Amino acid sequence: MLAIVLDLASAAFASADGDGGATPWLLVLGPAGAGGVYFGLWRYYRNTHTSHSFERETRIVAQPVTGHDAKVKEITGTKKTRIDGDNRTNHRQRVQRIE
Amino acid sequence: MTTLPPPGDGEQPPAVDTRDDPTGRPTVPITGQPGADPVIDTRNERLDDGVNRCPRCGATEIQLRPSAGMLICLFCRHEWSEARLDESIANGDLAALRGTTIGSGATDIDTGIDTMITMKCAGCGAEVVVNTDEQMGSRCHWCRHVLTINEQVPNGAVPDAVLPFKITHDDAMARIREFAGKRRMFADRAFVRDFKAENVVGVYMPYMVVDGNASADVEGHGEIKTRQYTRGSGDNKETFYDADVYEVRRHVDFTADDLTIESSAERAVMDASRDTNNIINTILPFDTENAVKWNASYLTGFTSEKRDRDVDHLQPVLEDQLLSIARSQVASSVDRYDRGVRWERERIDVHGSRWVAMYLPVWLYSYYHEQGGKGMVHYIAVNGRTGEVMGSVPVSHRRLLLGALAVGTVIEGFVIAILAAS
Repeated sequence: MLAIVLDLASAAFASADGDGGATPWLLVLGPAGAGGVYFGLWRYYRNTHTSHSFERETRIVAQPVTGHDAKVKEITGTKKTRIDGDNRTNHRQRVQRIE
Repeated sequence: MTTLPPPGDGEQPPAVDTRDDPTGRPTVPITGQPGADPVIDTRNERLDDGVNRCPRCGATEIQLRPSAGMLICLFCRHEWSEARLDESIANGDLAALRGTTIGSGATDIDTGIDTMITMKCAGCGAEVVVNTDEQMGSRCHWCRHVLTINEQVPNGAVPDAVLPFKITHDDAMARIREFAGKRRMFADRAFVRDFKAENVVGVYMPYMVVDGNASADVEGHGEIKTRQYTRGSGDNKETFYDADVYEVRRHVDFTADDLTIESSAERAVMDASRDTNNIINTILPFDTENAVKWNASYLTGFTSEKRDRDVDHLQPVLEDQLLSIARSQVASSVDRYDRGVRWERERIDVHGSRWVAMYLPVWLYSYYHEQGGKGMVHYIAVNGRTGEVMGSVPVSHRRLLLGALAVGTVIEGFVIAILAAS
């Protein structure tokens, strides 16, 4: 964790230096690092985020996936790097059920 | 109080599954094919009289030897095992599974059935009371025979199968000691002081092991980046994207073998703010294909928790897990959507499911910790078959804060040094 934060600091400094001067926002790295260490250690001890990965650890036999894709529109000039509500990998997030 | 008939009087107790089957149909082994009977008979009829005798010498002093996974007679040292459940249930092709089939040990719990069961001792005829909330056997106080609950009384106490412990107590202690040892520095001081790995107990936890045959449909939108460009200059430089938006639909047919679902209402609640049940859930899966037919002697020396949820209660959990599996299965088919996919609607059709109630072995270390007037039981659990360990160790917030501040100070010092040098 410490190494990551220090690498980040070095990279940020290099970037800031390249722009022609040191940036005061680098000073937030200390508190941010402390917060990250606190949270990381707390999770390591308490393991509140863990559960059985039944999606991967159960014997599943699936037929080939079928489907349909149709282009519906184009987006231009968005600043968003991802689609809104991307849940491709969040398999446990339930969405509207079709009965 | 429920009274079982005396053993050896020529009258077998009524078959629980038949009695409770609303259709009144007789119980026959299930094949998993269309038109099959909805109840799988998993009774261990050899033990219905409540006396589990050594096949070689007839003694009733029997217990599990975890290192071998076998029952052992404490008199003549003869070892044997009950038949695997898989061998007594014709599994068939899961893709042909239709309707809901249930093991006779997984039928609905009859709330009218008392947890106190009176058995007549086969040795002397005395009446022995067993509280199935706490134990599954008792010793006759007159002739010292050991009596065990082997009949599938519909109170959730006797499942279809049991997966015997394989990890020994010493092994479990070593694993828990290692797990806690790695988390000593920032652990709550009272936990460190009170920690005794010897206090780990072997518990058979109740689960429903479910096979499912299902189809799923998911619908949503996905985006593919077509262009990326920047506008502005200097500090006002911004990145913009163009993308094509697609409507995406996927369908998958699949079978799931041995999904394992908590059948105790208390254990099924996983709210990290008030319990650590997720710890016990994390040590799944078990090698449930090696589960054997029920024999209460496997529980000798261990404790057990009773099932208190029926198949109807757990259907939504099954559907939820099948939907998650379906979403996982279709994930690779939408890799081309490099800006992600937003699934918006989903459907699951469960064509068939097969439910078997099972006791699974868990070594459990529990520690009650109170902080700020709020108490919580922290578990460290070891899978009694695979040895997988997971746990929750209460933290000392003061130590954690000091550690975090120390690291933060080092980083800040480094940053200040760089800024000063520049």
